[in-house]
Amino acid sequence: MTYKKLSLLFIAVVMIAISGSVFGVAQNTHNSELDKINCLECHTCPTPNAQDMCLKACPSVLQPEMKAAHTLVEAPDTFLIDELTDLYQPVTFNHKLHADMAQMGGDCGTCHHFSPPGHIPPCSDCHGGEKNPSNLRQPSLKGAYHRQCLSCHREWSHETQCILCHLPTEGKPLSVGFDSTDILGISHPVVTVPDKLVYRTPYESGPVVTLHHNEHIDLFGLRCVDCHKQENCSYCHDMDKETKITKTDEEIHAVCNDCHLEERCDKCHDTVEKPAFSHASTGWALNRYHKGAECRACHPTGKKISKLNRRCSACHSGWNSDNFDHAVTGLRLDEIHIELDCEDCHTDLAYNKAPDCASCHDEGTNPKETPPGEYLRR
Amino acid sequence: MSHHEIAVPMKAKFFSTGTKIVFAIMLAGMAAVAYRFIAGLGAATNLDDQYPWGIWIAIDVASGVALAAGGFTTALLVEIFHKDKYHAIIRPALLTAMLGYTFVAIGVTVDLGRYYNIWHVMLPDMWQGNSVLFEVGMCVMIYLTVLYIEFIPVVVERFKGKVNLPSPLSFLNGIIEWFLSIADRTLGRFVSLFVIAGVVLSCMHQSSLGTLMLIAPFKTHVLWNTPISPLLFLLSAIAVGFPMVIFESILASRSFKLKPELGILSSLARYTPALLGVYLGIKIGDITIREAWPAVLESSPQSWSWIVEMVFGVIIPIIILATPRFRKSIGGLFTAATMVILGVALNRINYFVIAYKPVYADYPYFPTFIEILVTVGFISALVLLYRACVMIFPVISVPVGQEPKKEEDGSRITSPF
Amino acid sequence: MSLDRRKFLGITALSSATLLTGSTHAHEIESKTDEVYGVLVDTVVCIGCRKCEWACNQEHGLSDKDLKSYEDKSVFKEHRRPNASAYTVVNEYRDPADSSKAYSMKVQCMHCNEPACVSACIVGALEKNELGSVDYDAWKCIGCRYCIIACPFQVPAYEYENPLTPQIRKCTFCHERVAKGESPACVSICPNEALTFGPRSKLIDLAHSRFKANPGRYHEHVYGENEVGGTSWMYLTAVDTKHTELPVLSAAPLPPLTEIIQHGIFKSFVPPLALYALLGLIMHTIGDKNEEQEVKE
Repeated sequence: MTYKKLSLLFIAVVMIAISGSVFGVAQNTHNSELDKINCLECHTCPTPNAQDMCLKACPSVLQPEMKAAHTLVEAPDTFLIDELTDLYQPVTFNHKLHADMAQMGGDCGTCHHFSPPGHIPPCSDCHGGEKNPSNLRQPSLKGAYHRQCLSCHREWSHETQCILCHLPTEGKPLSVGFDSTDILGISHPVVTVPDKLVYRTPYESGPVVTLHHNEHIDLFGLRCVDCHKQENCSYCHDMDKETKITKTDEEIHAVCNDCHLEERCDKCHDTVEKPAFSHASTGWALNRYHKGAECRACHPTGKKISKLNRRCSACHSGWNSDNFDHAVTGLRLDEIHIELDCEDCHTDLAYNKAPDCASCHDEGTNPKETPPGEYLRR
Repeated sequence: MSHHEIAVPMKAKFFSTGTKIVFAIMLAGMAAVAYRFIAGLGAATNLDDQYPWGIWIAIDVASGVALAAGGFTTALLVEIFHKDKYHAIIRPALLTAMLGYTFVAIGVTVDLGRYYNIWHVMLPDMWQGNSVLFEVGMCVMIYLTVLYIEFIPVVVERFKGKVNLPSPLSFLNGIIEWFLSIADRTLGRFVSLFVIAGVVLSCMHQSSLGTLMLIAPFKTHVLWNTPISPLLFLLSAIAVGFPMVIFESILASRSFKLKPELGILSSLARYTPALLGVYLGIKIGDITIREAWPAVLESSPQSWSWIVEMVFGVIIPIIILATPRFRKSIGGLFTAATMVILGVALNRINYFVIAYKPVYADYPYFPTFIEILVTVGFISALVLLYRACVMIFPVISVPVGQEPKKEEDGSRITSPF
Repeated sequence: MSLDRRKFLGITALSSATLLTGSTHAHEIESKTDEVYGVLVDTVVCIGCRKCEWACNQEHGLSDKDLKSYEDKSVFKEHRRPNASAYTVVNEYRDPADSSKAYSMKVQCMHCNEPACVSACIVGALEKNELGSVDYDAWKCIGCRYCIIACPFQVPAYEYENPLTPQIRKCTFCHERVAKGESPACVSICPNEALTFGPRSKLIDLAHSRFKANPGRYHEHVYGENEVGGTSWMYLTAVDTKHTELPVLSAAPLPPLTEIIQHGIFKSFVPPLALYALLGLIMHTIGDKNEEQEVKE
């Protein structure tokens, strides 16, 4: 029937129109987004690629940030900032100290908003001595320097005296009640590392969380940055921080969960302070030989070791009479005994038991009275 | 024109006891003025960057202009509407206005920091047509001139053909005589033009005084901060004109031991409740439309001052003067007139001082002793000058036949002092 | 521009043939506001070093106190205002939600687009310069202090202690430096670039770009963009400006109300002349009647 044909035709036309418009819209979106980006805004060549990014020396106002990984060795330890010396003396800037600190934050990008791969340009490459009237968004060199320093320094010391960083060119140094050589980037104040932190949490069945901070550093060998990631300067340095930083539950747990994966809550949460970690709690009290060992010497992957027997060879499978230095046990064997096989004294390979002298010495010699060598400690 | 009364110079000893006190106050005031010019505004006043205007503007200038409104209201009544039975009050009202405006000009000069530049207002090169103050200044200056011109016939009447200055100035006699005769011949024809001009000028600057603070709406208390403030200023100035005439007339008759013209004054006072009533009605309407009634009840110095201004300055005088028994008694008239005068003065003080809220007000303004002394001194000087003028010139009318006898040497310009 | 306008007004006042209304006058200024210069004061960036005070005092010879005395932050304990011997001062404001957070705020003349002081001045001693500054001419000034009354920011200060030649004193926007293409002394010295000098319209763009680039850091309102018809000096604050010393003002410029009333009253001198004619007519008519009556009597 023509009716049906006509309606089919109509539907087909509509379908084509819709698909065409959808396609067209998609096409347009893509184009308009591409149009928004002008490659030459940031690149000197029209077709930049990963090998040759041909970045401009100065970033575009539209895209002032560019952060690539850099290593500290590329930069000198100390700079003398003296381009603008006028009312004040030059500033001695300890770059190394700040760079070290920045590792706990955003690395070089903490300060260098434009750190492209390769050479990081100094501020003065782009920021001119005079304000550029056609580009009010870009600070002059003076503004760039001061904002760079003060944005952090004012946050933690809440002091903005000029003489904190530089002395007036005229007149004598001022006495305003502090040693200007101290915070000048020449030495850093001693950081007091806490041994133990006890947190009270709202978790009802285990409100007390004990963090043995020293344990994490000494025992587990963690570096500061392993836990203190992406923290801005004032997190540590705010001298009169009154307000508590509010974090979500996820954020609070995230720092622990990096290592303590899939642990039960009571691993950390308890009703009382948890004692420091003792290896005996695992069912394996460490003897004098193992006490001093680093955790990772036995737990290279950080995982538990299970189904272990008491025999040294369970772990130290490679030891034999040729390569074992008996002196580590506190007894340095004499010329005669050192030639023996391990099993000659330690029958049944029971090294945790007293040696069986009777296998050679009929009279039942006590090794303590007539030692098989020299006792190094008693 | 009434032929039963004639204006004559008053006869009395100039220095009565009261006059001596007033004179002493005036001298103290003059000393205070001298101190202001030598030591500066900072030393003499409590004016500062928070409160740039004080009682000198509010009382000496703004209230002075308002209270001199009798000049144009009586001119309007008698010379334009030809209510001739009030003819006797024209000259006292004119003299009040003339002296009042003179002291407004002097008061402004004392308040101005660079008073020697006041002539700049007249330089077309410096005319600033957007400035309300410019309009006020121009109008006051022209009106003051008009008032002096209007007063010339009184001088002519007294001295034409009698100019006889003493020896060192006697060479001026001819010139003055010539001037007086010219004025006598010409003024009669033109004086009515000046009279109308005086009314127009008065309407303009009386209202413009109320526009002054509209440039600072954020610094003016809501009770006075209304765009119809110029209308309210004009209406209150018109309303205070007759009470001022009544007040002076009663005081003058007391002082010169004349019988007060109770009939004329009572009759004149009939206008006042109506004029005040219109003012009150518009004021209440304004507060209502702007929904400012809560501010009336906020119990601040401003709200109390507003209540006092309205109750004692407007409502009670309306009641008194609307009651025939009170209106026909000297006591009732004088009380009501005084209340209206003080009410309007308080309104001007409220508008320029009490209602003014500096953006960063650390303390309220209160005038120094020097400021008060200058203001009181000027009022005293005005009173003395008025007394002197009515004794020299034929200003105050007395019934025909009761005029004091002419002095033997009345033909000379003599100092009353 | 302003000179022409004043002459224009003078002519208007002289001959009633010319017509002037408040609205045309307002438009004349509005069309110019985009070209004027301004300064953006970013109180979030300001560190309160008070170097601007020193530079201003040096530039205008107001004080010879040495640089290091401006390190004294104890002045922030009390709220200061510009006065006859200090055109600009730095104050402190605090975040009402967290009083430990203090910000510094430099205050000076705002150099309004439609200045109330200029409209108020009786002799035209204050004028809005086409570069943006509100200039004062002491030679014209009569010392009436109406400008102080009119200013919504309580800026103009007066030399009350000077008995003979007192002047209005306020920030000049260093108009001589600006005319030479330099920035004002305070802007030049500002170490942290809390002050940005430039064309006013570009400063507004800059302000909004800072809001965008630093979400949460600013109270997103450019104070002075619209207040009292806009000001040449504008402020960025960390908190709502009602918690700072900046007065809460509406967007309507102040002069139109009084100017419309004035120009309404004086419009080509028609209302006064009409009143004059009316009164003359009344005087004449009633006078004639009276005479007739007298004749009858």
